[in-house]
Amino acid sequence: MTDRLAGICFFLLAAGYLWLSTGYTASFGDPLGPAIFPRVIGIPAVLLGLALTIWPRHSADWAGPAGLLRQAAALGLLLGYALLLEPLGFVPSTFAAILGLGLLMGAPPARGFLTAGIAAPGLYLLFDRLMGLPLPMVGTWFG
Amino acid sequence: MDILASLWDGFAVAALPINLALIVAGCFAGTLIGALPGLGPVNGVAILIPLTFAFGLNPTSSMILLSAVYYGCMYGGRISSILLNIPGDEPAIMTTLDGYPMARKGQAADALAISGVASFIGATLATLGLTLFAPLLANAAIYFGPADYFALYVMAFATIGGISGTDPRKTLLAALLGLMLGTVGLDPSTGVARYTFGSFNLYDGFDPIVALVGLFAISEILFFLEQKVQEGKLVPPGRVFPRLSRVKEGLGASLRGSVIGFVAGILPGAGASLGAVMAYSFEKRLSDKGTFGTGDPRGVAAPEAGNNAASGGALIPMLTLGVPGSGTTAVMLAMLISLNIQPGPLLFERSPDLVWGLVAALYLANFVLLILNLPLIGIFTRVLGLPAWGLMPLIVAISYLGVYAITHAAFDLMVMVGFGVLGFVLRKLDFSLVPVVLGLLLGMDMENNLRRALSISGGDFLVLFQSPIALAIYGVTIAFLGFSLWLSRRGSSAVQAGVGE
Repeated sequence: MTDRLAGICFFLLAAGYLWLSTGYTASFGDPLGPAIFPRVIGIPAVLLGLALTIWPRHSADWAGPAGLLRQAAALGLLLGYALLLEPLGFVPSTFAAILGLGLLMGAPPARGFLTAGIAAPGLYLLFDRLMGLPLPMVGTWFG
Repeated sequence: MDILASLWDGFAVAALPINLALIVAGCFAGTLIGALPGLGPVNGVAILIPLTFAFGLNPTSSMILLSAVYYGCMYGGRISSILLNIPGDEPAIMTTLDGYPMARKGQAADALAISGVASFIGATLATLGLTLFAPLLANAAIYFGPADYFALYVMAFATIGGISGTDPRKTLLAALLGLMLGTVGLDPSTGVARYTFGSFNLYDGFDPIVALVGLFAISEILFFLEQKVQEGKLVPPGRVFPRLSRVKEGLGASLRGSVIGFVAGILPGAGASLGAVMAYSFEKRLSDKGTFGTGDPRGVAAPEAGNNAASGGALIPMLTLGVPGSGTTAVMLAMLISLNIQPGPLLFERSPDLVWGLVAALYLANFVLLILNLPLIGIFTRVLGLPAWGLMPLIVAISYLGVYAITHAAFDLMVMVGFGVLGFVLRKLDFSLVPVVLGLLLGMDMENNLRRALSISGGDFLVLFQSPIALAIYGVTIAFLGFSLWLSRRGSSAVQAGVGE
């Protein structure tokens, strides 16, 4: 039951959130302090998480192993793209990201390669040169 | 008349060359995004927001662009519903019921024309309604005090997922999660760092713009990879020119659908999908003689008028109260708040240019969309032939460059991906994302109003329940929650949680 699992996660999260709020105090000015609001939202969250754990209603269907593998690979690509955008530069990293995601989505390799090869410099020209958004063409590793 | 004079000034703003260009560009992009299966108005608006920041557009121009995209998506969603039997976005689901059968009978051109005209009628009537009713509501809301605003926010959270038939506990949890995420960073009134775990990157908190690009654009990619690609078969259009007689058959249904959709749009948490569902079922009950579901023009006209009218209606609570009625307007609210524009009753006094310029732009956008969607429809039907593997990665790249252009930080790109995963998992678990966005957005304002109300009363929580306005709002909230609990007990989920438009 995924609802039960979600309920436990929310319960733990909210409990931790409440516990941390006890450390936030301000001695001057504001009589209520920075901990009041976290308590106002944390307490109902703890109760609702508990309620979801005790009375679950819904169970999610996850993708099959092939789908999960594709999603994990895509996540890796997305994180890599985020980390490498600056060091590699916009054009090379975007090329790799578009190619990789395209292949994951079932692009024929040759056409995926061609699409990425046109789109990466194309986006750079359109947004950096034509519309004036500063993007790093090649990154710090080559500069 | 007051309204006419204001509207006239609005047209002067909307007719500026930059704004006209944005209207046309937004309508085009919106129709395109709406037509692509899987992408709807929330995604389209979310992807474009970082770009409006990066280009330094002023708030009025940004709102005009995003609203044109919003309206455009509503027009565009029907194209793939009719030709592919795959709704282009959630609000267009009902259009498949009669639109696709019409296309199968060789009447695709008729169906596209009927739905195009219905969209125009729905959107124009809704814009008219917005012109008339929004100032009224704004006038009433001037009497709100801090405790009343706190009550209003509670209502917004309690009701936004409400009527869609999802578990109300999950809606509340999603809202609370958003509020918790919103408290990360320096406390605005005391400067205490909360929930930053020592990371200086988190001192400013999560930028709502970055968060919602992740929630709505990146999570869509993960969803897309879930299943094998849905290959629809493009129906050959049959005859090229629509017949006027068939278009006329849908007019009555369009008018009725517009009214229903408009009302659904104003209701909190309903949005365009519900507008379309309600308009279709009403029309079916009224005029079905066994022809609905087999290609009845009225079954095409009603939901299209309904979803377009709802998108206009949904702008009303967002502009007048600062409480969005749908996912897309929540995302637009995020942009306004980030531009230091606080929507709400004072918006009409402080920024008449923005409000009336936007309203005037919506009238113009409807005419642009009518042209794009009747004579120029061929462009968009051709786009549907493009493969998803070419388009989805482009959306990722545009999201990245938009976010990077406003933050210049790899850290924010990681945050965006993190929110993408969060959005994916929450949607899989049947949580709606809109309350999360609302929580993140309104959290700070809600906290400030709570503290203000409590410091006036010296810390007495009873002050929250003393104003008659606040009490009335709590009453409506409880009634609404009871109603939605009853709906979900009956198990008749009219609209799935989905993206929440």
